This record gives sequence, structure tokens and C-alpha cells, in this order.
Amino acid sequence: MTDNKIYFKFDGKRYGGNKGDTIASALLRNNVKLVGRSFKYHRPRGIYTCGIEEPNALVQIINEYNEPNVRATVKKIYEGMVVKSQNRWPSLKRDFGSVNNLLSPIFSAGFYYKTFMGPKGFWKNLYEPLIRRTAGLGKPPREFKSKSTHLNHNVDILIVGGGLSGLLAAKKLAGTDKDVLLIERENEFGGILKNSNKVKSINDQKTSEWLEKTERLLKNSSNIKILKNTTVTTYNYSNHLTAIEDRSVGIEPDNKKPELVLHKIRTENTILANGHIERFLSFRNNDLPGVMLAASFEKYIQRYDVVPDNNPVIFTNNSSTYSLLKLLIDRNCIPRAYVDVRDLKKIERETLDLLEAHNIPYYPKSEIEGCDGNSEIKNISVRTKKNIMLKIKASMLCVSGGINPDIHLFTQSKGLVKWDEKILTFKPEKSFQKTITLGSVSGNFIFKKIIDEVNQKLNFIDGVNDIDLKIEVNGSEEFNIKEIWETKNNNKSLWSKSFIDLQNDVTTKDLTQAIREGFDRIEHLKRFTTNSMGTDQGKISSINALGIVSKLLKKSVSEVGTTTYRPPYNPVSFSAIAGRSTYEFYDPERKTPIHPWHVKHNAVFEDVGQWKRPWYYKKYENETMNEAVQRESKQVRESAGILDGSTLGKIEIKGKDALEFVNMMYTNSFTKMKPMSAKYALMLGEDGMVKDDGIVCKINDNHFITTTTSGGAANVLSHMEEFAQTEWPNLNVYLNSITEQFATFNISGPKSRIILSRVFNNIDFSNHKFPYMTFNTFDYLNYKVRILRASFTGEQGYEIYVPPKYALTLWERIFYYSRDVDLVPYGTETMHLLRAEKGYIIVGQETDGTVTPLDLNLNWMIGKKKKDFIGKRSLTRSDIIKGDRKQLVGLIPIDKSYGIEEGQHVIEDENIPSQIDKPIKMLGHVTSSYFSPTLNHSIAMALIKEGNRKIGSQIYVSTSNMNVIPVEVVKPNFLDPENKRLLS
Amino acid sequence: MTRTFSGDGIYIAQRDFRQIILRGKGDGRFAETVNGEISLLPPKDNLRMISNENYLFAKQSFDQWSLICLKNNEEEALSKMINTMNSNDEILASDCSYGQAYFEFSGDKMKDYLNKLTHFDFRSKKFPPLTIAQTLIARIDCTIYNLEDKYLITCNKSYEDYFKKRLQDTIDL
Repeated sequence: MTDNKIYFKFDGKRYGGNKGDTIASALLRNNVKLVGRSFKYHRPRGIYTCGIEEPNALVQIINEYNEPNVRATVKKIYEGMVVKSQNRWPSLKRDFGSVNNLLSPIFSAGFYYKTFMGPKGFWKNLYEPLIRRTAGLGKPPREFKSKSTHLNHNVDILIVGGGLSGLLAAKKLAGTDKDVLLIERENEFGGILKNSNKVKSINDQKTSEWLEKTERLLKNSSNIKILKNTTVTTYNYSNHLTAIEDRSVGIEPDNKKPELVLHKIRTENTILANGHIERFLSFRNNDLPGVMLAASFEKYIQRYDVVPDNNPVIFTNNSSTYSLLKLLIDRNCIPRAYVDVRDLKKIERETLDLLEAHNIPYYPKSEIEGCDGNSEIKNISVRTKKNIMLKIKASMLCVSGGINPDIHLFTQSKGLVKWDEKILTFKPEKSFQKTITLGSVSGNFIFKKIIDEVNQKLNFIDGVNDIDLKIEVNGSEEFNIKEIWETKNNNKSLWSKSFIDLQNDVTTKDLTQAIREGFDRIEHLKRFTTNSMGTDQGKISSINALGIVSKLLKKSVSEVGTTTYRPPYNPVSFSAIAGRSTYEFYDPERKTPIHPWHVKHNAVFEDVGQWKRPWYYKKYENETMNEAVQRESKQVRESAGILDGSTLGKIEIKGKDALEFVNMMYTNSFTKMKPMSAKYALMLGEDGMVKDDGIVCKINDNHFITTTTSGGAANVLSHMEEFAQTEWPNLNVYLNSITEQFATFNISGPKSRIILSRVFNNIDFSNHKFPYMTFNTFDYLNYKVRILRASFTGEQGYEIYVPPKYALTLWERIFYYSRDVDLVPYGTETMHLLRAEKGYIIVGQETDGTVTPLDLNLNWMIGKKKKDFIGKRSLTRSDIIKGDRKQLVGLIPIDKSYGIEEGQHVIEDENIPSQIDKPIKMLGHVTSSYFSPTLNHSIAMALIKEGNRKIGSQIYVSTSNMNVIPVEVVKPNFLDPENKRLLS
Repeated sequence: MTRTFSGDGIYIAQRDFRQIILRGKGDGRFAETVNGEISLLPPKDNLRMISNENYLFAKQSFDQWSLICLKNNEEEALSKMINTMNSNDEILASDCSYGQAYFEFSGDKMKDYLNKLTHFDFRSKKFPPLTIAQTLIARIDCTIYNLEDKYLITCNKSYEDYFKKRLQDTIDL
């Protein structure tokens, strides 16, 4: 192996290529022309282009997690790469699916829509599974774990394209105070200067020398940042563009490094200098391997030093093929023939001179009728100007049907385009954003005019000077083209086709049929035929389709209009879009200060918003959640338990009008509340529905601290801020979130007082000194703790608020002092069970945005004498006070061995018919359900119609296996209704 | 405690600072009370910052200021300062010291590094020295204090582990 030789495998066979080769150039180097099978008809397909516009040569990279649909014309080879062709079985040469080609006469446009209509049931069981199995080209990737990253840029000017125009623009901006980002799709600058030999010299230097000097200048300019191997894929509003950088060009992707980088660019101005794309022509069997775009053929020679064929036939309708002709002749590769649609007089003198000097047969005013061959071209049929048919033996055909400015990004930016009758293409007409187009993307195909265009269009930028450029070109400067979209087809065989979209196997006949069936609007026609709906978006063919349709409709192309080019410009990997927001970073995680302790003590975590909360703690390896919850809850009731409640939202409220503010925000009245006391409070939305709940601690009339639900913390603060700032700016009140400043422990159980008295031995926790719903702040060691006597379990309980820095130490001290008391850490599931036994609600579980305090029997929480509070007026609406609203009740199964499932329907009927032919009357649904180890039976809460009136009656709860469980309706308070435990 | 991450052109140090969030009108008695405690007048322009050897004092919104204590104040002293400020009924001073994590970013590639994690425009013409910004970094809310040669970035303490993992991951990649 020499230094430059690289070996890779294609369909199991080992090939050698040169460093820098794409898969396509390496295969062509090895004279491999058949690389894939087409989407629908499984026709043999070859390499059609030399770039991103490729519709045919899509392959699967086996050693890159089976990455499918990779463009062989873009992907660079590396040592050991394993490539496989797609959409064929058992082999590329002998593909069983090619039977589709034989059946192709019935697979016309709209085949799927018309065919799979019946019989009933066939779609689901036969058609869809079958179509899904056969659809698509490659197979999905396996075990893919990408490390793609994102990178943001903020610049003044973005230049898309490092060809001649882009480089001139960058050169003009070098040294200015503008931040410039220059993006080039290939791994080297140059564009057309590298792809063809159209330009002879620049400023009397070889183009390569000029490129080197220019690149050096740009690299030394501190205001210019350069990205290569990067494709701009999306042009959004506000000059926001995204681009994909391939960091693994020509190397095997390293699992530890990003393979792709998604660049997100925000810019003041965008310069689009992204060039043009050559288009093809439709003729019989224009898809046979061996047909290639002329400019691509030239690019293979220029960029990769590969001559795909020594004696191709050239077929053109324009002047751009001169450079290919000259290049071939310079390499002593004499084309077999030169077929030009144009009249002899229109063909450039330079071209004719070359043809004549080298005795190359040329056919003016002629066209290719079609190609013949099995898996590649063997013969090419030419119809001469006198309608004489000639057959030329050749294995490659270079086609040029004209040049399209690459307007995809421009149209994505919402820029308007206009049809140019002279160059027969759409070109940018009016920018919607601050977008400038330069060079061939703006329809300027004449090199000598580019410098004037650059100087003129960029002169509005402060600090730029005009630059000079002396450019010498090969051949004529003028671009000359004759309109032709499809040639006349002599062969009436059912299996010979003239394609308009190679990737989706759409033929020109399909276009004709679609129009005949009434799809005469271009957007309808596109969807009916799937023309230009492949991943290439018809880059080489969509304009041709417009041309053909315009002829069929007898309209001009501008009347037919153009379809919409949609982002992304080329396929973007999901891994690039996701970036690092996958796997361990799928969502940001919030942890409490006690998290390491929870992990050490086998907590199983539950996601509450972004918080990681202990769900339950496994005492032994195989303990189930149910077992753990039963154990934890029993222990809390019998001894004591501790919950990490740090995730609770906490808001500090202060100001001269704090009392009035709190009175307005919550339903309760706080006016007569004593300082250093607390109250369970309810917050409503303006619609009167329960929005949040929490405990309001009153330090004094000017200073409060409130808690919120864990998930509601941010919303409640912003709700309060909104009212403070916009509705009641007259109130002197300020708010701060102090959620993160305090860790919170909830200690509950008959022995909680004993434990706390040991930990805080200078505090009197007696009922008399520390009654229920009071709080105080204490010095402990060298910091302050706030202790609130409150409970969410119905047991004697306390909440301790401590700065996170000291939280873990205090938590461990509590356990230290509880060695003989059997303190159990409990998780959120046990908390839910304990509160359900007491009938305490959870916002979001017993409520769903349609539940009022009246529905929850929380009338006692509404300050009747209060002048106003948010939601008050809504509570008097007729719909809110009507008697048949759903109300919260408790349910106990009549047979206490049964369990009630959460979320099940509550119904009146004892039986659910096996065949449901009319709606069953639903009373409501079960909001919470648990098995209570203290009560030794299931308990549930439910929201049911006229629930309060039904207390004492028997109703039914459905089960997941279509049975019902008879239940008794009770008040939603199953344990200690007198609150003896709570107040003990 | 100072925990550091470093990579090519980027150095990150975690700092133990104390922080008070102040709410109020900013003028009159507010300014007087605050000045009495820290010998600095509250910055008047939004997102501006002033500092001395002891404090960074930044205006976060029309009625909110962030005061970062650069010296390791004693619990008692800070508590006393907060109490004094809160004795003025036109001020809400909340101790947020331990609810925040503090990271100092420096190095010649710190902007490029940070732009892997945020869209924020760090160019000095858009984000001049001695200004602050609140934005998303690694998808979490952060405040950035531009100290000219370095940035101080704070985030909620609960995100500290996640944030540090993202910082390290970004260095590794």
C-alpha cells in the first residue's frame, strides 16, 4: 500500500482509491458504474453527478452503524470503509425487485392512491405492512450513539460558498471591522475554479496560485472565520441559518469525538455565493448507468483525476460543455461524438474549431433519442437534424441541459425568484431578508462580470474598498442555451422510460398522465407524482419538470410557477439536530443537596419536572415498589419518616402591601393571621379553577414566605410577578424565589417530636410552645434553620428549612439521633399514599384545570369576607355553582380484598355490556388509589358527578379487564378524621 | 472550594460566593440603605454592573439587583446585612448564596467554548465589559457577568451537577 492508496469494500469486494476520493470517484477509478437500484422499479443506477445533488448513487455505510442513503458522490473513503449498495436482493446485479420494472406499466402516477382502496381491512393487514416493508432505500441504522455537537455563531456577515464569488466577497471584507464567517461545502476552496477548467488564469496567475494566495490572506484576517466541509442547510427568518459540518471527512468516525457539528448562525447580512447546479435532460433510458452530467464528468477529472470514460458522447443544449470538450482533448481522450441541440450557427466558434481539429463527429440541431444496454450503456441513439437515426457504440454519455442558480437557500429565506428567458432558469429577483446573491446563484454566468457585481453589491458596507480582478477564461464568455426538456422517443416499448425524477422514479409520462387527470397545478402535480419529493428535492430535474409541464399546459414557465424548496437543503442527520441533548443529557437534571445520600441508600428516582426525587427506597435488592411503599408508610404511621421536600417552590414576599397582595393571590384570608403562623392556602386562576396550593408563612403583615408545588414553582412566581407588575402596580410589594436557597425536610410520625428534640435540643417542641401551623427561625451550629410545624401525612410533623450547604450534614444528624427510633426515609409514592389516607389533594392529580375549591369541598379555605381575590368572581358563575358538578369523594371497595385502579371510570351501572353499542353514563374518574397498610384495604379518591349527594351509596368502578368493582362512596378522609394524630 | 476544568484555551473555576437578590425602586432610601452597607450605589442602567474588591453589584431588571459578595463573608455578618436591608420596607433582600453555583470562565477560547453551549452573542460590541446578561447555557437559566477578561456565570444550585457534566463534556469533545 502506498501512502495515498486507500482500500475499502463495496458489496464485499475490495477496491483501492486515492486519498481524497469520494466513494463515487473511487468506484469510477475502478470502472464500477453500477452502484444501486432505483426506488420503485429497481432499475440499475449509476453515478449521475459529482456532488450533493446526486439522485442515484445512495449507499449504506456498514461500519458506521449501517448509516443509510449516504451520497457516494460526497462521502470520502477511508481505509477499511465497508460500503453496501441499497434496495436490492439478493445482489446488485441480480435484483429480485427488478420484477417491478416488468410490472412498471401498471405502477403509474397515483398508483398507490388508486389501487389500495379495498377490500375493507386489507389496508391495515396487507397493503400497509407490505408497502412499509418494500418502501425506502437503505435500512435504518443500528445502535447509533452519536456525539454530534452544536456550535453557535454571531457574525455581521455570513458568506455561503467559497468559490470565486464567495472568495472575492471575503477578500473585500478582509481587514474590516465586520465579523465574517465564510462557509465552504467542500474540503477546499475554489468551487468552479476547482471543478472545471473554465477559468484559465486570474490576475495572470494560475487559478491554483490565486486560490492559495487568497486563502492565505483570508486565514490571516482576524475578522474572518472559515468553516470547510460545511453545508448550509437551512435559512430561517431573522437571518438565522444552520449548517452541518462533517468532522469525519475521509476518516473513520471516532466515537469519542463529534462526527457532525450543527452550526447555528445569526448574522446581520447573508451573502449567498453558493453557485449553481447543472440540470439533466429527459430521454429514453436517461437513467442507465453511464449517463452523467457533463459538469460532473469534468469535475471528476479536475478534482479527483479520474476520467470516468475515455471516449464519451457529449450531449448538450448550451455553451457550458466547451470546457469539458477541451479538457478531454487535452488529456487525449477523444469524445465519441458531440451532439448539440442548437443550430450550427449558434454553436461557439471555439467549440467547432476543437471538434473539427480533432475529427470528432458532431451533430448540430440533433438530440439523443435514447440509450440502450442492460446494466450500463452499450449504444446511444442520436436523431440528427434531418431526422436520421444514428446508433453510436459508447459506454458513457455526458449530458448538459442547462444551468440552474442554486436558489434553494434564497427561496428558504423567502426571497422571490423570477424566470429568465435568456438563460432559461429561475434566478433571485428580490430579497426578503438582508440577503445578497453573488455569481452564478444570482444568474450571473459570466466570469468577467463577477468582480463588478461583487464591488457593486457590497459597497454599502462601511470600510470596504473596490477590488480588481483580471480573469482569463477558456472559450467563450457568453452563455448560450436552447430550450429543450425532453427529446422525442422513438421506442414505444412499455419498459423504456424517460425519467424526470431519478430518485423517486418519476417519468415524463407520469407528468402527462397527472395533467390529464386534472392535476394541472404544479404543487398538486408534485404531490400526485412525487416529482422532486426525494431527498435531493429534484436538484437536477425540478426545473425540467416545470419546462415539460409548461409545454403540456401551453403556458410559459413563469405562469406555471415554481414549487417550494424546503429546508433542509440536504438531508440532516437526527443526531446532528439533537446534538448533545441525548442520553445522559436528554434533559437537564435538578438534584437536591441530599441526592448523594439517596443514591447511597438505594433510592429509585422519579422525574418531577426536571427534579430527581426519591420515589421509594429499596431495602433489599428484589423489593418491589409496592413492598417498599407499604413498608415505608407503615413505619411513618408507627414511628417516624423523613421526606426530602427540597423541591418545593419557595417565594419570599415583602413590602408595605404584602398582606393585601397575599390576600389577593390566595383564596384564604391572612388579615387576622398571627405573625409567625402558617396557613394551608389555595391559589386560583382567573377562571376560578385551582391553580396551585402551598403553605403561607406570615412573618409579619409586610413579610411572607410561601411554598408552592414542586412543578408549579416557576409558574406561580411568574403569575405573582405578572399581577404585581401589571395589574396592581400600586401595591408596594416585591418577590424573590428562594426555592434553591433552602433544602426542606418533612419529618412525620408519632416520634417526630422526639427526634427533633434530640437534634435541636435547645428548642421546645411541645404542643404548647410549638403548636400546629406555627414556625420560627433558630440558630443551629453556625447557621439558621426555619422550622414549621405542618404535615402532609396527617401525622405529627415538622418541615425544616436549611441552606443547602448544611443540608446533608443536618439530614445525617437527624438519622444519627434516630438510631433507636426507627426513622425511615420515604419517597414520593409513600407521600402520596399517606396524604391520600387523609384525603389531602395533590394539584395535578385531584385537579386538572377544571376543578374549583367547591368541587374539592375546600369551601372552608375561601375567605368569605374578603373583598376580592383572583378567581373570586368566577366562583359565582352559574356553571361553577350548579349542583351536578363533579365533586371529590372517597371510595372504598365493598369487598375489601379488591384494589381500585387509578384513572378508571366511575359508573352507576353494575354491568358493562360486552358489546358497547351506546354510551355508558360516566359519573367521573378515580384520581388516586392506594392500598392502605394501616387500614388494610384499598382506598381511592374520585371526582364524580354530585359526589357529595352520593356519600353512603354504592356505585361501581370499571377495571382494565372490562369488569366492575362495587364501591361505597365515603367522605375523602379515611384516617383520623378528628386529627388527633396531627395535633398530638 | 474551587474545582477547575480546563481545556485548550479555556479555564473554569468554581467559586464559593455569597449572593443577595435585592428588589426595590433603586433610588432614595433604597440606595441610601444599600450604600450604607456596602459603600456602593446601585447601578442605574439596566444590565449594568459596578464592582469593588468586595462586591459585584448588577442591575438585573427595572427593580431587581444582584449583589455578589466576593469575599467570604461570615454567616452572621451577611445575615446582619440582609436584616438591615430588610428593615427598610422598600427593600426585599433575599439571601440566595447557597442556592446558586458560581463559575469563572477565562482563557482565549472562552467565547468559542461557551458558544458550544449557548447562542448568546459574546462579542464585546454586543456584550461589553461590566454588563450582565441572563440567558440559557446548556439549556438552563444562567446569569453571565462580563468581567472583561473573564466571565462569572451563575446558575441554580440544583443544576450544578448537570452543568458541570456538560462543561466537562464540552471540553472532552
